[in-house]
Amino acid sequence: MAEEKAARFPDPHEFQVPSELEGWEEMYPSHYLFSKERGEWESKQFWYLDKIHAPEPMPPLDLIFQEAWQISLSQYTTRVFCIPPAQGIAQRMVGPYMYICAIAPPPDEVIGEKAQRFEKRVFYVFEHYDELWDKWLTKFKALGNEMEAIEVPKELPKFVPEDQVLPAPTGCYVSYDILESFNNLVNQMFKGWQYHFEMLNLTYLAYLMFGDVCRKLFPGISESAIGKMVAGAYVSMFRPEEELCQLSRLATSLSGVANILKGDGTADQKIAALEKSEDGKKWLEAFDKAKDPWFYVSCGSGWFYYEGSWINNLDIPYSYIKSYVERLENGETIERSLDKVDKERDETVAKYRELIQSDEDRDAFNNAYNTVRTIYRYAEDHLFWVEHWFHTIWFAKVREFGSLLVDNGMINEVDDIFMFNRYEIPELLTEVATGWALGVDIPVRGDYYRAKVDKRKKILKAANEWNPSPALGVPPEEVAEPFTIMLWGVTTDKVKEWLKGIGEVRPEDVSEIKGFASSAGVIEGPARVLKLLKDIVDIKEGEVLVSPSTNPSWAPVFTKIKAAITDIGGLTSHAAIVCREYGLPAVTGTGVATSIIKTGDIIKVDGDTGVVTIVKRAN
Amino acid sequence: MEPATKPIPNPLKLEKEMDYILDFEELNKNSLQMVGGKNASLGEMIGVGIHVPPGFAVTTESYLRFITDTGIKDTIFQALSGLSVDDVEALNNASAEVQDLIDNAPMSGNVRAAIEEGYAQLCTKCVVEKVPVAVRSSATAEDLPTASFAGQQDTYLWVEGIENVIDSVQRCWASLFTPRAISYRIKNDFSHEKVLISVGVQKMVNSRTAGVMFTINPTDGDPSKVVIEGSWGLGETVVSGSVNPDKFVVDKVLLEISDKTISTKHIQCVYDPDRGEVVNADVEPDVQSKCCMGDYEIKELVKIGKEIEKHYGRAMDIEWAIDKDFSFPESVFIVQARPETVWSQRKKESIIGKKSGYQLLMEQAMKRIKIS
Repeated sequence: MAEEKAARFPDPHEFQVPSELEGWEEMYPSHYLFSKERGEWESKQFWYLDKIHAPEPMPPLDLIFQEAWQISLSQYTTRVFCIPPAQGIAQRMVGPYMYICAIAPPPDEVIGEKAQRFEKRVFYVFEHYDELWDKWLTKFKALGNEMEAIEVPKELPKFVPEDQVLPAPTGCYVSYDILESFNNLVNQMFKGWQYHFEMLNLTYLAYLMFGDVCRKLFPGISESAIGKMVAGAYVSMFRPEEELCQLSRLATSLSGVANILKGDGTADQKIAALEKSEDGKKWLEAFDKAKDPWFYVSCGSGWFYYEGSWINNLDIPYSYIKSYVERLENGETIERSLDKVDKERDETVAKYRELIQSDEDRDAFNNAYNTVRTIYRYAEDHLFWVEHWFHTIWFAKVREFGSLLVDNGMINEVDDIFMFNRYEIPELLTEVATGWALGVDIPVRGDYYRAKVDKRKKILKAANEWNPSPALGVPPEEVAEPFTIMLWGVTTDKVKEWLKGIGEVRPEDVSEIKGFASSAGVIEGPARVLKLLKDIVDIKEGEVLVSPSTNPSWAPVFTKIKAAITDIGGLTSHAAIVCREYGLPAVTGTGVATSIIKTGDIIKVDGDTGVVTIVKRAN
Repeated sequence: MEPATKPIPNPLKLEKEMDYILDFEELNKNSLQMVGGKNASLGEMIGVGIHVPPGFAVTTESYLRFITDTGIKDTIFQALSGLSVDDVEALNNASAEVQDLIDNAPMSGNVRAAIEEGYAQLCTKCVVEKVPVAVRSSATAEDLPTASFAGQQDTYLWVEGIENVIDSVQRCWASLFTPRAISYRIKNDFSHEKVLISVGVQKMVNSRTAGVMFTINPTDGDPSKVVIEGSWGLGETVVSGSVNPDKFVVDKVLLEISDKTISTKHIQCVYDPDRGEVVNADVEPDVQSKCCMGDYEIKELVKIGKEIEKHYGRAMDIEWAIDKDFSFPESVFIVQARPETVWSQRKKESIIGKKSGYQLLMEQAMKRIKIS
């Protein structure tokens, strides 16, 4: 290749963060920083902002999920299932934002070795998919229950209880229990994420394979058509919403219940009112039955402590139920017809199949389709169980430690614990344990930790105002890593778009952005930019949702909006799947929608071509 | 074009073969020898419920009767005998002489009566006194080794009144003897006498927008796509390539319009009442860059295209027009359909090959995607 001046993004080592972020480095483990020692290697890689997992500035403790997936995702590709030319995905922090990098393929001899193993291991998994999936779910639920059962000491007693000393001392006490239970909690989180990727990499690989077969047979087939053929309707991700629908129906069949639920009070007030009647109690019983596991669903992505979950914010499910009950009483259907979705999918597949010209191709298409369908369920189901159910349990447990730290004068508020990373918290806990062990009137350094909390909160806040470069380093010549292509949608076009956007154009001058045509249809309407789910109350009927990405607990929002646009997410991202099922246009993976579009702008969403046009700027 | 199939002898049919004109509704693919490919195909489509403007075919029998009754037959074939493709001048002279003979011989008798009757019935059907029609030659298969030789014969648009219709029919017959057609037959050793011609007389679509449609993407052979090209006015500008048409690519399964290219369409083919003929007129500046049709019309065309393709069992090349005098969906007409020739002649062999799911997965696993 000629020595053309290669288009490139800023070098990660020369990249400057705003001065308000000074001191950000100490929030994260040192191996997350671009470093001199690895400088040569780091400069050669292509790093892009991970807006799926880290759309917002990263609170130190929440980095644990990233740390866990970096290892787990990568190991399945490189050492477990051995996808031949693919290597792992590396992570770095620049300021409070995370960049990731799909590492270039290994030397040819390694690819050869991996190919042999791949064949043996992966084909086995496909053949035994159903039983493996059942085993997976059993062990994953057991792990979550184990985490739920971790006992976090509520307090440090003046003297250890009698029964821990007599008739025989237990030998270790609360000072040890604190540390052990935190370690266990961390270990279980890592284990959960090890499980998370057990089959996911292969799912994505299968999806890409099927997409490729489709494109060979139908060169112009849309990504949304491929997604439509593969996606299923009966997935755990949609269960929370289904449960709400059922509870709403139940409410309308019981006496007096619907009226209470339609009221304007808080969830607690409604629960109190319901408890006063037999029918109300009956309904509450049904609610309690549904809530574990189905309301262990994050109000956001599950990746940030501040998002909260339904189970801890019952006002959210209650407000959804309120609107469902009202719609039911208006004679509307609230449930999505899942059978219809499945039937439509099968019909779509059959129609494309009919267009294939030769018998051999038809067989190959069937083989490819059956292979992807065998394994695809996992792609959708894992999300609920890991990011939502499991993380909800985690956050609750961490808050128990936070509470302990507050009680012992280390931090002001329970959630301040999230301002420390997972290596630092044992230090805080050890200091508490030490103080307790040393006796009475032993000082702890609460001011020291509180100052850190304050500083970090300021950095995270300042980072919200900063738009980091979408990428750093040198764009690669090729990508082989399935996640990079599928989930983050990194393609030649995408990189070019990113390069175009660097530094030259002001957001207000952009009038058209491109993304994946994830769900068909064209619609025009006012935009509603939602960066956090807590702002969801602002959304109005008929608006177009513009968000970094969406997730299952946003589901009820989709009954209000006209279309959805996301910064990040391919064709199997949550927004894409839900929009297809609701028949709403969607453009996903635009990279920049939330920074270009402002609430109130009139935008045109073309889900057939993946183009979003800003028709008229809000004043 | 498919080779002509011999009509199955059947007493009813034989009687029909003596007809000088046949309503499109009476035609199907077995009528090819009598009415030529274009007319047969229109009849075939009407038979399966496709919306085609009404009309009738002037059969090959009429042509034969005409050259016999007028006594010009022998003169014609004498003029054509012994010509050589190398002697261009002689060939041009013979062509001019023969075309002159056909143009000017007065039509009379049964043939004339039949055409008069056919046109009168069409006028009654359309409730218009002198219904404007398109008069097109419709060649029989012997003259058409490939579809690409079609179109050499004539088309007369917006013909009004019986005398003009008859004139146009004669000119279509004469088009059988253009220098190009004559030399083609000499080169390929076809007998001039055995070549027959039919003519179609079809109600004009008063088209707002018209164009072509392929039931396969002609650029990449994608069988899951319908590609529509359209422009303002009559379809002639699109067919002849004199405008850059608007282009739409639609997925057959999901009916999604995956690609929409709106071009600047400077001219349109329209009827000029002052000149009494169709002309290429300028398009109003503010309309030039407007999309020439609505999504609902695109989707209706795709639906029709799929039906036609299904009926013929192969990819088709279709001409269509949207009439401004009718309301949707009655406004959407198909005026012509023929097999697509480029992609349908290729392939049938497998694109992917005989592969198991695992083989495909392995191939995918080995793949690296170039991104720069």
